[in-house]
Amino acid sequence: MRTLSFSRILGLVLLAIIAAVVAFAPLIAPYDPVAASVDVLAPPSADHLFGTDSLGRDVLSRIIYGTRVSLQVGAASAIVAVLVGTPIGLAAGYFRGRVDLVLVQIIDLFVALPGLVLALIITAMLGATVANLAITLGVVTAPTVARLVRGQVFVVREMLFVEAARATGASSAWIIRHHILPNVTRVILGQLAIKVSYAIFTSASLSYLGLGVPPPAPDWGGMVRDGASFLPILPLLSLGPGAAVALTVFTFHLVGSTKK
Amino acid sequence: MLAFIGFRVLMMIPNVIILTFLLFACVTTFLGTPAAIMLGEEASPEAVAELNARLGFDGPLLTRYLRWMENAFSGDFGRSYATQESVGSMIVHALPLTLELALWAIVIAFIFAPLMNSFPVLRRTVQSLNSVISLVGITIPNFFLGLLLIYVLSVELRLLPTTGWAPWSDGVLAHLEHMVMPVLTLTNFYFSTFTLIYVSEYRAVQSSLFVQVARSKGLSETRISFRHILPNSILPLITYAGLSLGQLVGGAVVVETVFSMPGMGRLLVSAIAARDFPVMLAVGLVIIVGVMVMNLLADLAYGLVNPTVRTVA
Repeated sequence: MRTLSFSRILGLVLLAIIAAVVAFAPLIAPYDPVAASVDVLAPPSADHLFGTDSLGRDVLSRIIYGTRVSLQVGAASAIVAVLVGTPIGLAAGYFRGRVDLVLVQIIDLFVALPGLVLALIITAMLGATVANLAITLGVVTAPTVARLVRGQVFVVREMLFVEAARATGASSAWIIRHHILPNVTRVILGQLAIKVSYAIFTSASLSYLGLGVPPPAPDWGGMVRDGASFLPILPLLSLGPGAAVALTVFTFHLVGSTKK
Repeated sequence: MLAFIGFRVLMMIPNVIILTFLLFACVTTFLGTPAAIMLGEEASPEAVAELNARLGFDGPLLTRYLRWMENAFSGDFGRSYATQESVGSMIVHALPLTLELALWAIVIAFIFAPLMNSFPVLRRTVQSLNSVISLVGITIPNFFLGLLLIYVLSVELRLLPTTGWAPWSDGVLAHLEHMVMPVLTLTNFYFSTFTLIYVSEYRAVQSSLFVQVARSKGLSETRISFRHILPNSILPLITYAGLSLGQLVGGAVVVETVFSMPGMGRLLVSAIAARDFPVMLAVGLVIIVGVMVMNLLADLAYGLVNPTVRTVA
């Protein structure tokens, strides 16, 4: 019990720090994240705490601004996932029978597929922009949301107040909107942080593979990819943004999994 | 049992058809026709149409899909647009490496996660410690972990070769040396999730009646742990292994890129970068069929150890 509350506090503290970095990025970052300089591949120093990259840009500033890009994609795709997944889950759970059978087949089919590979192919087709990444990752995550909602609806639809509403002659649409949806919202919101963490994880992997937010935007996965060739001489160039991804994903996962 | 297997195998066929059709339709519609990509934007429409016809890319979508599937069935995936190499032989060369990588990762996680968390001595400490480490483990991206390993083990300690791959024919030691870090990276995800699932299952089983009976019979804690609790806590791992194969494939794509290994993942990434249709489609097909078959195997394994799920419906 004590460890649980500890990880909950840790998660919230880290989340607050990340939120502060997002909000005050221009104040914290010592340099412009996209401004190149002649000071190319400088080792870490008092001027550039994390050194500079191959175009002379300050790595620390890029990591700080990268938080914004990363969270944009993460939050937007989590919202898309919920918007797409919830109606499917509601329909499958509420109407059951044939509707459910068909929807569950489709859901299971997509849950089994490798999300990263799916996202890779879709991003290649649509082109990598922040909006496309958010849509792609949202759609790839939607089946898991649908499955979760469906499970919850199964429980809620058997409850007495739903039965009562049905007995008074309320239509399915009305019952779903006024009785079912409010009762599954809590579960959906609880999953939101986990979905954000998954989206940040996957979008960073996509950028690492070369299909992420296009340059010169400070994007963590892309920074790791570009910095990897300098790993022996300037490890922070790739390990710095890599650690930022790991920490952010960890934070959201912690917040999502310790929530009551 | 036979009916169960038969039903599952039959269910696979429509799924494979639906998914491969979606793959084919998406890839060939959105990316533009191969000839348009190969000839560039300035090519005349006639030239594009002519080359498309030569590549077998004319006619309606369904016809093209059926033609592609027909060829694929006879092992003919066409030639790569980028290298002119036969796609079939590219896959034959890349697949064993990826399979080996995935196999090592699953086997290692499957053996070590239950073992490490079952020793009665210090169990509480080890289980709690492993659970905390696992929480970090499931959130650490493969590319970061891989680079971290390269930095520590290769750059700083000079213990292992940084990247690349050596086939078995280069000697067992050389092969394994190149495999250590990729396998460790890929195992991490499975090991972490297995630990989390196993520990929670173990704790639930621990309070069962049959464990109390075993204890009151005077059996040693070691025997109770390994003979009574372990076999009863391992079932969810099989289900999970089957369900999360997709994540393993995704992980393999990243790991192969980090360590520059010539497997299926790298093949896919470079094919996407080069818009190399035949390779993209073939790798996609192999992944789809692979995931379906492995899912089926996990289902069957589950049915084998737990007879109650052997129902057709």
